[in-house]
Amino acid sequence: ADLSKESLGIHPEELKYYKSIKIKCKDGSKSFSKERLNDEFCDCPDGTDEPGTSACPESRFYCQNAGHVPVTLFSSRVNDGICDCCDGSDEYDGKVKCPNTCWEAGKAAREKLMKKIATYQDGVVVRKKDIEQAKLMIAKEEAELLKLRDEEKLLKDLVEKLKERKEQIEKAEEQERIAKEKEEEKLREAQKKANEKASEKGADEKEANEQEKKFEETPPTDFDDFVDGSSGSSDKHVVEEKSDSNNEAEEGGHSAGRNASPDITIEQEKDKTDNTIDKIDHKNEENTENIEGLSREELGRRVASRWTGENVGQQDKEATDNKEEEHEDFANTQDSGDNYEDEYPSDADEDTRKYDEDEIDDRNKYEDEDEEEGPYNHDIPYNSDTEDNTDISDFPTLSSSSWLDKIKETFQSVLKAIKLSNDPVDKSEASRVRKEYDDYSKKLSKIQSRISTLSEKLKQDFGPEKEFFSFYNQCFESKQNKYVYKVCPYKQASQVEGHSTTQLGRWDKFEESYKQMHFSNGDHCWNGPDRSLKVKLRCGLKNELADVNEPSRCEYVAVLSTPSVCLEERLQDLRNKLEAMNAARAQSHDEL
Amino acid sequence: WKKEEFRNCNQTPFCKQSRSRKPGSCSFIASEPVIENGELVAKLIAKPLQNQEEEPEKLEPLILRISVYHGGILRFKIDESPDSPVTKKRFEVPDVLMKDLDEKKLWLQRISSPENGKGSVLYLSPGYEAVLQFDPFEIYIRKGNDPNAIISFNSNGLFNFEQLQNKREGDDWEERFRSHTDSRPFGPQSISFDISFHKANNVYGIPEHATSLALAPTKGPGIESEPYRLFNLDVFEYISESPFGLYGSIPVMISHNSERTTGFFWLNAAEMQIDVLGHGWNAIDGIAPQHEAIDTHWMAEAGVLDAFFFLGPTPKDVIGQYTKVTGTSAMPQYFATAYHQCRWNYRDEEDVAEVDAKFDEHDIPYDVLWLDIEHTDGKRYFTWDKLLFPNPTEMQNKLMAKGRHMVTIVDPHIKRDDGFALHKEAAKLGYYVKDYSGKDYDGWCWPGSSSYLDMLNPEIRSWWAEKFSLENYVGSTRSLYIWNDMNEPSVFNGPEVTMPRDAIHFGGAEHREVHNAYGYYFHMATAEGLLKRGGGNDRPFVLSRAFFPGSQRVGAIWTGDNSADWDHLRVTIPMVLTLGLTGISFSGADVGGFFGNPEPELLVRWYQLGAYYPFFRGHAHHDTRRREPWLFGEKNTALIREAIHIRYALLPYYYTLFREASVSGVPVMRPLWIEFPADEATFNNDEAFMVGNSLLVQGIYTEGARSTIVYLPRGQTWYDMRSGDAYSGGKNYTLEVSMESIPSFQKGGTVIPRKDRFRRSSTQTMDDPFSLVIALNSSMEAEGELYMDDGKSYDYEQGAYIHRHFVFSKGILTSSSMRSTKTSKKTLSSNSVIERVIVLGLSSSAKSALIEPAKHTTEVEPGPLTLRKGSSAVGVTIRKPNVRIDEDWAIKLV
Repeated sequence: ADLSKESLGIHPEELKYYKSIKIKCKDGSKSFSKERLNDEFCDCPDGTDEPGTSACPESRFYCQNAGHVPVTLFSSRVNDGICDCCDGSDEYDGKVKCPNTCWEAGKAAREKLMKKIATYQDGVVVRKKDIEQAKLMIAKEEAELLKLRDEEKLLKDLVEKLKERKEQIEKAEEQERIAKEKEEEKLREAQKKANEKASEKGADEKEANEQEKKFEETPPTDFDDFVDGSSGSSDKHVVEEKSDSNNEAEEGGHSAGRNASPDITIEQEKDKTDNTIDKIDHKNEENTENIEGLSREELGRRVASRWTGENVGQQDKEATDNKEEEHEDFANTQDSGDNYEDEYPSDADEDTRKYDEDEIDDRNKYEDEDEEEGPYNHDIPYNSDTEDNTDISDFPTLSSSSWLDKIKETFQSVLKAIKLSNDPVDKSEASRVRKEYDDYSKKLSKIQSRISTLSEKLKQDFGPEKEFFSFYNQCFESKQNKYVYKVCPYKQASQVEGHSTTQLGRWDKFEESYKQMHFSNGDHCWNGPDRSLKVKLRCGLKNELADVNEPSRCEYVAVLSTPSVCLEERLQDLRNKLEAMNAARAQSHDEL
Repeated sequence: WKKEEFRNCNQTPFCKQSRSRKPGSCSFIASEPVIENGELVAKLIAKPLQNQEEEPEKLEPLILRISVYHGGILRFKIDESPDSPVTKKRFEVPDVLMKDLDEKKLWLQRISSPENGKGSVLYLSPGYEAVLQFDPFEIYIRKGNDPNAIISFNSNGLFNFEQLQNKREGDDWEERFRSHTDSRPFGPQSISFDISFHKANNVYGIPEHATSLALAPTKGPGIESEPYRLFNLDVFEYISESPFGLYGSIPVMISHNSERTTGFFWLNAAEMQIDVLGHGWNAIDGIAPQHEAIDTHWMAEAGVLDAFFFLGPTPKDVIGQYTKVTGTSAMPQYFATAYHQCRWNYRDEEDVAEVDAKFDEHDIPYDVLWLDIEHTDGKRYFTWDKLLFPNPTEMQNKLMAKGRHMVTIVDPHIKRDDGFALHKEAAKLGYYVKDYSGKDYDGWCWPGSSSYLDMLNPEIRSWWAEKFSLENYVGSTRSLYIWNDMNEPSVFNGPEVTMPRDAIHFGGAEHREVHNAYGYYFHMATAEGLLKRGGGNDRPFVLSRAFFPGSQRVGAIWTGDNSADWDHLRVTIPMVLTLGLTGISFSGADVGGFFGNPEPELLVRWYQLGAYYPFFRGHAHHDTRRREPWLFGEKNTALIREAIHIRYALLPYYYTLFREASVSGVPVMRPLWIEFPADEATFNNDEAFMVGNSLLVQGIYTEGARSTIVYLPRGQTWYDMRSGDAYSGGKNYTLEVSMESIPSFQKGGTVIPRKDRFRRSSTQTMDDPFSLVIALNSSMEAEGELYMDDGKSYDYEQGAYIHRHFVFSKGILTSSSMRSTKTSKKTLSSNSVIERVIVLGLSSSAKSALIEPAKHTTEVEPGPLTLRKGSSAVGVTIRKPNVRIDEDWAIKLV
């Protein structure tokens, strides 16, 4: 019994520490004599003296669990009448009998562990391959980007020169035209003077009218935008927030609000806005809600909705309206989301998004055009990412400088072909210049778009080993009940139900040392936070999304299994663990 | 808060009219006193009008009955004459007064006349008399021959009683509010009067309001406020510092000065409005009458006048007198006094299992996991959502295996769904409250169209109680207890979010007469169900939001849907203290605040304070972010764990206090002035409070607080509960505070029993050893108590309990039994021992202690107050005396 008291609850590696007659509390506060070890009285506030009892709240109990894995328990579990260690060693005061279940539990655990190890083994291989490919692809795309930038520079120059030439030609043409007109006018003047005067006047008026009309047709939104832009971003924010709450008001009260008098909607809007901005703004609430004319049922729903935040409409109606609302909301939050993130809501940002969405199509077009009707043809493969895996060997062998020289040559020849003479204007020359100008500016804007796409992509965080590179143009889907969850790393995540899409969040970042992806700033929740999603990454052989949950309102979590997180170190840990388990098993077998 | 949704006094005809009455406008005088049935019975007749031109209204006289109860209780009742021609009887609230109250009645033998001959004088208690003065009509209590009143009725002549009339042609009694019409078939029937608390410094009581402990005046020079309203309402996002009515009502007011405490109770369940009148309210031409009293004006829409004066003289006496009339707190089960974890909603069984596991993972104890409305099948109570909770029994059993319990919600609204057996049965039996036209009242609540059981009817309560049997409540187990929410009742489409006043209850009572007690009857019926389920020997645990006098006998109360802000944190203390003063000992507020997301600092502070609430539960609205204790980083997790651990360590002390409350009525959590009635500096203090007589706690109610001012009452030495530092009382101290804890002090002269071993839940602590913390007073003495029983059954009523008295004097700690010798059919033994005695304030160099009668010695050495990393020795520790808790012994320092 004494022997067990001296080793009770102590980790085998710590036994040495407890060997001496005078033992120090680990926090250095004091020391205690050996009789006080596990004597059911807490002497060291850090629990050093009671590893085997529940006397010190800070101490930990070690159970060996031969046949399974050792476990360290909080002291609160010792002799509490509940079997925590599979070897039953935590319950030794005789109040309960804990059978030793380590053998079976260990067997099951080992099997599970072995499966996991198998997954990791394969996963590590897949991951390695992915990383190699990713690195190649990144190098390739970086190289491409560099080249594109050089080419852009040259092209800009060329386009600039073409533009100059084009303008020269146009100027010359204009002069020619004026001279010609003057001559013609002289002729005409001589013939019919009075009549023509009258008819010309009529035509002028007509033209003026048309122009006026055109001006009126200009969409008023442009004008609004202009005003918004000039009045500063904070103002714009307010405006948008208001429109946001407008939607919410509709969500909350459409069944009553749409059919009843307009001030209901207004009041509601105000209420909701109050709620959204400052839920408990007690002092300034003077608004009176007009509830006359509501049916009893509508009133009941309305009041209930305060607590639940649910749509107060009829059930079926609710569903459809929700969808509508969500659509609108999506659009709105996108905008306001930008305003939150960037102080200057810029067009560039929106453009980038467009590239993101249409990226593949765009690029394909570029490529196609390039090959079919490009004015020059050199071997620059603008590979799309989808072909990356098969295409690595096609990486251009042409050295950078020779490639550039080739382009330069082409440009030179284009320029040379254009005569800089001024007079007289050669018609074919003019149209050639125009065509060259149009073609090359188109080319330039395509290159610029590709540059922006590539640089946007390459600035992303693909992980310490670029193991997440392949996530860039992928979306992962999981169907759960009526919803389809769609997670697109580096972009956004959404929940789709039929035709309605709810934005769960936009790409934010990796967290927990690349064990989790975070999407934030999704669609706003009534009376709650903006939706967000955390995707926990688990080692698996395929990319598979599962277990989407909403543990807290509008805060979603999901699990994605992927080879990208099958780490070699972890595999080693697991192997060690299995080894330890097997060793323990062998030992306990020997003991038996 | 939707202010416009609720009526203010001006929109409430009876209130507007009563409030505008002038002092001295009472038109009644008393006459013809006789002794009848041991009571004084007199008639109240109209005062002869001085202006003879007006014909006095021909009314039957009112009947006044005055009776006296043992122990300083005066009761006076005014009702219509039995000869009244009106058939409608006014409603008297049943099942509130104790059944044995009549046994405590002092049978009056004779009436004597006061000095001036215009009245009657009754013996009240030794040295005290009650006086009925005929004209002007007044009832008051005085001491001996001192002519000054202590507490009085109608001293300002505001008494008015609108007698019932038969409806005549042309009478239009309807009242409209917003889109609602109250048919008021019986017309105006309000009662109002004034009560004066003479020489009082403050008045307290009349919950439930989110206001200060000492009631601020609501009317008088320079004061513009609504009266305190007592009308049980489901108020969405209520605000702090407002006299509007919340979820429950207790028409009890307590006055206090440094010499005397008195109390007043009006048993009436109708809407009530109460003005506390500021000094000079009745001034004529700006000159306030010389009158040192706090006058109060009481107004109710209906009911009878059935009122009580409590003589005191101490605060504990008044509470004892009140709880003699309405009962003391039920003795809770041990687990119910521990920590509860709730959220709207724990989604499914997986969620429940995960939350449960996380508590263990973080070594945070908890005893009860709660399920809100979403666990049901479409808000049909007693059912389970089959997808989310397919195996409720298994789920509960898994929790029970760790000694944990579960609570599910059962609300009073019943879904009107013919596929729902409960509804079908209730409708068939005619058990629903009726609307004014006699049909089942159809309101709107969580399930949509709903009806409400008429819990006023004992037969329906008994039927309801059967629904909690294990057979009827499919998926329930013996470890499942119940939560009654929305029982004001909350009706989303009713006037003021409640039931129309002209709805009809059992016996023809109108809802207006029953309203404030509805939730109480529902609570009562539910508790009866759990009692039946346990064969009468399992103490029910039912939490209710609505309450009324008597609710303390039934179960626990919480302060409803508060918000996650600092003001709400602060106001929980006066709210809980007020409930305690008015008999409801077992109460608390949602830790963290129901609405909104608390910042981690607020949440930590709330746990630190909430750990001292008698009822300790974390709860959150479903729109809020998850806030289980481990979600705010390791540091905050540790702080919250520590706060919860403090509560668990103190559970033996709390349980002893619950016992005291169940015997004497004195609440677990107390305003300072209950313990220090002569210390005027405590009278307005509602930031600090006492837990029992030994522990003072000061909350921290501001963000980023670095220091706080704590007043420590005079005449005592106080010991910091963490550092052991001693402070002398009678001073304000400015103390540094950190996030580690809120200030708490043990009073010199007390002994607090603790359990310092931490477990998963209180269930595993039953056999664990105790620590005793002894804080010595200036005479080097201290005493304290420990009560324990099986924590579950009623066997303690037959003597199965341990009740120890610990006394430390002259260096000797003794334990003796406080068991009553009367009840000893059963006994309780315990294997628990005392593992540690910590003595604070001892100047002794004792190295060992001698234990009698075992005659063994044990070591004495310096030791810390808490077993935490970094704690240092601050007191004298007697190591391992290991004396049995259920035996007599003495430990002598040598």
